[in-house]
Amino acid sequence: MEDNAEDTTFVVDEVSTIIKDAIEGSIGGNAYQQNKVNSWTSSVVETCLNQLTKLGKPFKYIVTCVIMQKNGAGLHTASSCFWDNTTDGSCTVRWENKTMYCIVSVFGLSI
Amino acid sequence: MEIVYVYTKKRSEFGRQCNFTDRSAELHINIMPEESESENFIAKNPIDIGVQVSKEYSEHEVNTIRFETENRSINHVEGGWPKDVNPLEPEQTIRYRKKVEKDELYMNTVVQLGNVMEHVIKQNNAIDIYETYFDDMTNEEVEDLPTAKTINVFRDPNPVQRTANHISWYIDGPKKIAASYCNLEFKKARSDACVDSYIWDVENPNKPELTLKPISPLVCIEFNPKDTHVLVGGCYNGQVCIFDTRKGSQPVEISLIEKSHRDPAYKTMWVQSKTGSEFFSSSTDGQVLWWDYRKLQDPIETLILDREKKGDIKNAYGAMSLEYESTMPTKFMVGTEQGYIINCNRRGKSDAEKIAHIYPGHYGPVYALQRNPFFPKNFLTVGDWTARIWSEEIKEDCIMWTKFHMSYLSDAQWSPVRPGVFFTTKMDGTLDVWDFLFKQNDPTLNIQVCDEPLYCLRAQDHGRLIATGSQSGTITLLELSDNLCTMQRNEKNLVSTMFERETRREKILEGRIRELKLKEKEKAGGIHDGADKEKKDENAEEASLKEVDPIEKAEKDFFKIVEEEKAKRKKKMDQNESNTENQTEKNEEKQN
Repeated sequence: MEDNAEDTTFVVDEVSTIIKDAIEGSIGGNAYQQNKVNSWTSSVVETCLNQLTKLGKPFKYIVTCVIMQKNGAGLHTASSCFWDNTTDGSCTVRWENKTMYCIVSVFGLSI
Repeated sequence: MEIVYVYTKKRSEFGRQCNFTDRSAELHINIMPEESESENFIAKNPIDIGVQVSKEYSEHEVNTIRFETENRSINHVEGGWPKDVNPLEPEQTIRYRKKVEKDELYMNTVVQLGNVMEHVIKQNNAIDIYETYFDDMTNEEVEDLPTAKTINVFRDPNPVQRTANHISWYIDGPKKIAASYCNLEFKKARSDACVDSYIWDVENPNKPELTLKPISPLVCIEFNPKDTHVLVGGCYNGQVCIFDTRKGSQPVEISLIEKSHRDPAYKTMWVQSKTGSEFFSSSTDGQVLWWDYRKLQDPIETLILDREKKGDIKNAYGAMSLEYESTMPTKFMVGTEQGYIINCNRRGKSDAEKIAHIYPGHYGPVYALQRNPFFPKNFLTVGDWTARIWSEEIKEDCIMWTKFHMSYLSDAQWSPVRPGVFFTTKMDGTLDVWDFLFKQNDPTLNIQVCDEPLYCLRAQDHGRLIATGSQSGTITLLELSDNLCTMQRNEKNLVSTMFERETRREKILEGRIRELKLKEKEKAGGIHDGADKEKKDENAEEASLKEVDPIEKAEKDFFKIVEEEKAKRKKKMDQNESNTENQTEKNEEKQN
């Protein structure tokens, strides 16, 4: 029963490592470049989804990615959900290097 | 009656039950503004940004496949007869005509149309629609820059590329050009190559007007100035053949191969004669042959261009170019493969008498040779990297010449309308127009006609159109701007004085050289006589200096100066250094 619960719930730790790996793999040590942002965001989102589906859990996923240049501006994001609190979950990772922030949120909704 | 069917399904089969609850809003990220970060940025003030209001267009080019047109026509003489009338039977047609003429509608129409026609005819007679306005106005001096534009390009329709090596213009106006095509590269001629040459209509580059089919590829072709239907061609195998455009593609007359040239018949030219049927041809085998196309079995006359004037074909110069001026019917000139230019007179009794003078010329074959159409005493030659202008009177050297070009010159011609203008073609695909009244050291106009070598050039008699032929057989027709083909005021006089001045200068130089030579001879003779008596005479020393080879003398002078310079330095230098210098000096002396 325990194992079963593990299989069908949204494990935040697991997801957050997936996200971090995806960001490191796509952006890595690059400095902010405006013309690269498009490809970075799509690559982050795609690798995240790929890894999440490989977990083989009965979930629908929503992944968003925000990349922001570090120029002193503030950024605040929030979300609210109407869902099954027992199974569903969300995970947001904030990653930064010298020149930019990358914020990725994943919402997992069980089927 | 009511039918009720109860369908049952277990709750568990519907899937998981929804049990949604609200999750309160949750703050994910909170990055506070940080002033210090903005210090990494440099404010750009002001900023230049271009704004374009107009629409954006893009340009694309497409080259469509060449559309080949063909002209056809029908001469419609009579027609429109009703079905039951046979137009071939006069009785029926006459009857029908009479019937129509009695028709009232027909009569009315004719009367009406008659009025209209009368009006139009009167109008035509009142206004001369072909009148040239401002006829009495003289041409203003044209001051524009000289230019030239390409009007037409005639490509060799054959897949195997051959050089267009000779062009001839139709005599009556700029309507047609005849071009000979032949691969002249040694041993490169392919056996499957086409031997055809073409006559092109200047207006139609799609299809040659007539294809000439000789037995061997033509190396030159020439329209007969007296009969525009007749052409003479020189073949690669040495034969000469006559074409008649009225009689089709095949040659009408061919010279016998054993009586013809032994090398390609590089040039043929029509000769001024009563019948207009005589011409002569030359070849690199060293022969010049005269022919009459009415009987091509034998040449009328033969001349062997022997340098020793003995008529030995082994010592003959190969002829590359010919010059014939119809105003001097007995004279002609030959440019040879060895670079000499031979002035000949046909009236001479023997070969030796016929060869009047041999001018030194170029460092290679003389590819073009032409007398100035206005001053026939002066002629133009082209060979190696230069074009030269000669005067008949100066036997040893030319009177004017161009600088050495970077590429070989291949052909040249005087402008038929301007005495001071000539055209040259070069191996780098450019055509030069020289106007030596305007500029002597550079061409007035340099046109890059194509990327491959140009081999021939021919200007039309009005001087406006120039046809050039390239290595791959493309003939380009160029039109010159007005100022290059209208005679300038006073041009004839100016050119004539320039020729005279240059001739005089060359004469003075020639005289001076002769004088110097004579003096040297005299002095040399004098030394021999008085050598025993006055051995230490200073004059003798000078003379002996003059006697030695000028290069040797220059070398001696050079080393003398070096030695003097070294002696000067020696004084300033230390003893040790001067010792070493002495040694080097001695070495140099030994070398001397």
